[in-house]
Amino acid sequence: MAEKRDIEIKSRADTIGLMDLKDVRPYPVTPPPTYEQVKPVYEKRKALDFCNWSEENLKFEKRYGKDEALTGVRVMDIGLWRLGHKFCSSLFGESGAEVVSIEPPSGDPLRKLTPFGREEYLLQNTETGEKCGMEFVNETVNTHCVTLDVETEDGQEIFKKMASNVDVLIDGMPPGYMDNLGIGYRQLKEANPGMVYVWIGMLGQWGPWKDKQSKFGQWMLEPFSSCACSWVHNTGLAQDLLPRGRGGDPTRSGIWVADYVAATQGYISALAALYWRDELGGTGQMVEVTGAEALMDIIDFDITWYGFNASIKGRSGGWDPNLNQYAWNPCKDGYMMIGGQTDKLWYNIGFCFERDDIQFGRLIHEDPFLKEVGARNALHALIKTYSLTTRWLRDQNRVEAETKLLQYQLAAGPVLYIDEVCEFPHFKYRPWVYVHETDYGPLLIASAGLSYQVRTPFRCKWMGRDLGYDNYEIYMKWLGMGQNKVNEFKQKGVI
Amino acid sequence: MAKDPRVTRIEDLPGPKSKGELEEMKMPYEEYCKKIFDVGNEHIKPNALKGIKWLSCTMYIFTPNSVVNLAELGAEVIKIEMPRMGDAMRHTSPFNECYLYPLHDTRPMTGTGLGFTNANNNKYFLTMDYHIPEMREHFYALVKKFDGLTELYRPGTMDKWKIGYRQLSEINPRFIYVWGGGFGYGPKMFGGSYDILGQAHAGLASVTGMHEYMGGHATKHTNWIIDWESGNIITSGIMAAIHWRRKTGLGTMLEMSQVQTPTRLLGYTTTMYGKFGIVRQRWGNWDTQLAVHGIILCGKSDFPDADNPQDKFDARYVMVSAFQDADFKELCAITGLKNLYEKYKSRNQRCEGEAQVEIYAALEKWAADKSRSQVAKILQDAGILAEPVRNDREVYESPHYRERGTVRWLDDPLFGDMLLHSGYSAGLMEKTPRRVNWHWRPVGADNKRIYRDKLGIPLSKIQEWYDKAWI
Amino acid sequence: MCDIIWCKKKKDGKDCDTINYLDPYYFWNWEGTIACAECGTVYYIHMINGFMYKGPEERPGEKPDTRPLYADKPYDGYSNYRPGVEGRTRPYQCMPRSWLTGTADMVKFSIRGRPVRGWRPQPKSAGLAGTFGFNWDIQKLSPEVWEEYQKKLAKGEVKDW
Repeated sequence: MAEKRDIEIKSRADTIGLMDLKDVRPYPVTPPPTYEQVKPVYEKRKALDFCNWSEENLKFEKRYGKDEALTGVRVMDIGLWRLGHKFCSSLFGESGAEVVSIEPPSGDPLRKLTPFGREEYLLQNTETGEKCGMEFVNETVNTHCVTLDVETEDGQEIFKKMASNVDVLIDGMPPGYMDNLGIGYRQLKEANPGMVYVWIGMLGQWGPWKDKQSKFGQWMLEPFSSCACSWVHNTGLAQDLLPRGRGGDPTRSGIWVADYVAATQGYISALAALYWRDELGGTGQMVEVTGAEALMDIIDFDITWYGFNASIKGRSGGWDPNLNQYAWNPCKDGYMMIGGQTDKLWYNIGFCFERDDIQFGRLIHEDPFLKEVGARNALHALIKTYSLTTRWLRDQNRVEAETKLLQYQLAAGPVLYIDEVCEFPHFKYRPWVYVHETDYGPLLIASAGLSYQVRTPFRCKWMGRDLGYDNYEIYMKWLGMGQNKVNEFKQKGVI
Repeated sequence: MAKDPRVTRIEDLPGPKSKGELEEMKMPYEEYCKKIFDVGNEHIKPNALKGIKWLSCTMYIFTPNSVVNLAELGAEVIKIEMPRMGDAMRHTSPFNECYLYPLHDTRPMTGTGLGFTNANNNKYFLTMDYHIPEMREHFYALVKKFDGLTELYRPGTMDKWKIGYRQLSEINPRFIYVWGGGFGYGPKMFGGSYDILGQAHAGLASVTGMHEYMGGHATKHTNWIIDWESGNIITSGIMAAIHWRRKTGLGTMLEMSQVQTPTRLLGYTTTMYGKFGIVRQRWGNWDTQLAVHGIILCGKSDFPDADNPQDKFDARYVMVSAFQDADFKELCAITGLKNLYEKYKSRNQRCEGEAQVEIYAALEKWAADKSRSQVAKILQDAGILAEPVRNDREVYESPHYRERGTVRWLDDPLFGDMLLHSGYSAGLMEKTPRRVNWHWRPVGADNKRIYRDKLGIPLSKIQEWYDKAWI
Repeated sequence: MCDIIWCKKKKDGKDCDTINYLDPYYFWNWEGTIACAECGTVYYIHMINGFMYKGPEERPGEKPDTRPLYADKPYDGYSNYRPGVEGRTRPYQCMPRSWLTGTADMVKFSIRGRPVRGWRPQPKSAGLAGTFGFNWDIQKLSPEVWEEYQKKLAKGEVKDW
């Protein structure tokens, strides 16, 4: 038990030191469900045999005992600030490739980023005391951290030698930066014709809107990508439902979303290129992925829609203009998502509500316009449906609403905050969040989505690293450069 | 190396080997990139995944998207739909307005809605009621010829129908079997799921939208982002599995649950809760780790006289970024907010919540009598990063995407002139580019092509099955 | 009554009987006056977290702050006022075009003037078991659209972008 203390909090400063327990906080608050508790769910479905087989063969806990898909693939990654090239490298790392991330000796500025600029949220290496931002640690999974100043001649020589043996080179630098230094795709492919060179950026390394830098050298970062592909314009609540400046505005994602999408596509394209090279006798090649375009690739049908009848998608907040019901709306203690489009589900929603609100069926189910599944997506139909839905919801808290709706076999669920996500029984059982022992002490992290596989699950081995932690190992292994030489370069500021 | 060591051959020397190569090296980098990606000539280059064959028992967006990536990279993909009905996604269209006809010859009044777009490019469309025992043998015949399958049924359903991983891996040990769904094994194993449930359940919605104290609400990402991105992640897993299979000859099964996807993409959120007990909230159009790095509202629209309301009312937002000291100093100078620079000189000071509230309010006040393009121009001229928030029309008209071929028109074989913004945009590849041949095809459009030409079923039999609604 | 205002006002001897829908996000926390879409009666409401804290109270003679986005009359076959009916409902600006019908838009040509199969019914064109080829013989299957297309071509209405 923690010791009881009397404290007085007058400002945020008084809370510093109270929050960081030097260890993970008590987690989970309630224990995860046991197999014995889950078994009845399997039995009820009459699928116990299959479910047991699934647990036996897919279970998260068995991941380290299985092989890694990309053993032997060598990846080098250079880039700063952004998550695109980092998440891409992490995917390679999680699937077993040997990944080396190159940073300048001064380190990636992302290491210093911390929520609201508060240094007390920096993580601290338990052995060395070196500090690092949480975002950096979360997005560098299984990568070796090596320092090298590629703006020096020595650095360029070293980089060239390292690049001559890699399968994949991930470039997250500004357009033409590497080429200007003489270590871009054009120059490197000669020594390593099998190399797949993946540039990951915001808008492009060429073309009228290519990535820019400010007069002072500041880079473009997300959400510039999602602003350039209409994604931000199309997200958020309509000004008709909430005033401008208070949420009725185009809205960015809470995360650097385009970076993640570009990273995933970079990984897919790189592996496709390797397949062509190895299986079909091809060569290396250049791949270019941008956040704006990778996000545009998956922006539903929005641009196609413009070509159809000059529609420009507007914002629809928590509602989806393509399906009804398919939305979240406010409820007593937050937001509740309800989905059910086909007639069966649509009427089931009504039957559920009618237990508390007898008028719902009268006003919704009897309206002739709302009887046809497609017609229900008309704007006024959404307004009517969700007004009455919310009238039911405002009397329910999320648990009550979910319990009632699930009795009618509906896909329904609350908007959860991260503390609730981490305590969600299914999340704890899989587990989708778990405590991983890192160089920064035990940290609560999210597991990789591809960790659940029969043969080669993805896995996190380590995350984050001190700056230049792997210098000696990698320079020896990749270049045969001994520690004295490395130290010499260190003194010159090259490494 | 030349046989005679006294002979110096140009190909043995470092540097360009021919005049063409020399010119290539001298070319400005941008031009070089443009030349190697050679937009418009994708189809004469090889397919990266030539020879890979994939089956798709999928619906909606999530699992179809995991397969469409393969189809665009050159794999041969057959999508199997239920006879007459087809994928439920065919019946979704924004505000019920946009459909392309026909869905199937027997339903001349029903179309496929635009909701189906982009997740089904290049696929061949087969109908088969694979849950009836009569069709099982033919399903197996496909499995023997194919590299893998993606399906989305509630867990155990395919197993019950004897076409699950446990049965198929015996028929074809190289088979890569993918289940994509909501939850996977565990207490909610049989829970249904949608994209929006993933956004809601896994924490993404809780950090997107304006802050509560501003009167804001949690907002949905405009697209079915969790469906799409989870699909992309599945494709990643498939590519890794194919890579491993080259070495071992063994197939595998992937279980991929979309509901968890956003949690992995939440950056520091989970760790911050675990270590400090702090529950991240929404922070609207600003950034929690950088300031200034956010979207501001300008006083005037760029197109006040436009007919389309999106142009008329909403061309008012600019993304402004000046988080480094020099940039922030310049931003304050150009907007007459020098006092703010004096007040918040360090990057960390500017990031504090109260500071951000003050800074953005001041910037919006400065922009209150200006249009979006005026604001962007003033800042760009001062060397600061600022870009308008663009809408669909502006994306369509953008010279950038046109030149890069990522927005282009496709003369669809069956549906005619359709604008395309997927496939080519997923990533440019120099030697084995992605490509799109068609948006989609009607339900069962390739029945004859597959049943007769691939499986050798007599035409009379195909007709018989069709009449029985087995296919 | 809360997220709807069911107006029972007598108008010309008849009950108004119109339901004014108070859409959830706009009115979740809101105080002010709102006019019935049918009879124009002004009601004062004060809503806190979706609850009708005060109202609806009639405020005759006051100018309404706003109007509902949608209203309908269940006793009149659900005849309705959709968003943006002048003097009845609040305009809805955030639309993809200046008009919305909520029914399929029978498009024959894309925005650059080339044929696209957006109208119904479509003539039968499938072969065995619903099999389609890889072309759409528009000249044969839909000669009237083909003709219209020829006219567009002649008039220079068909563009590259």
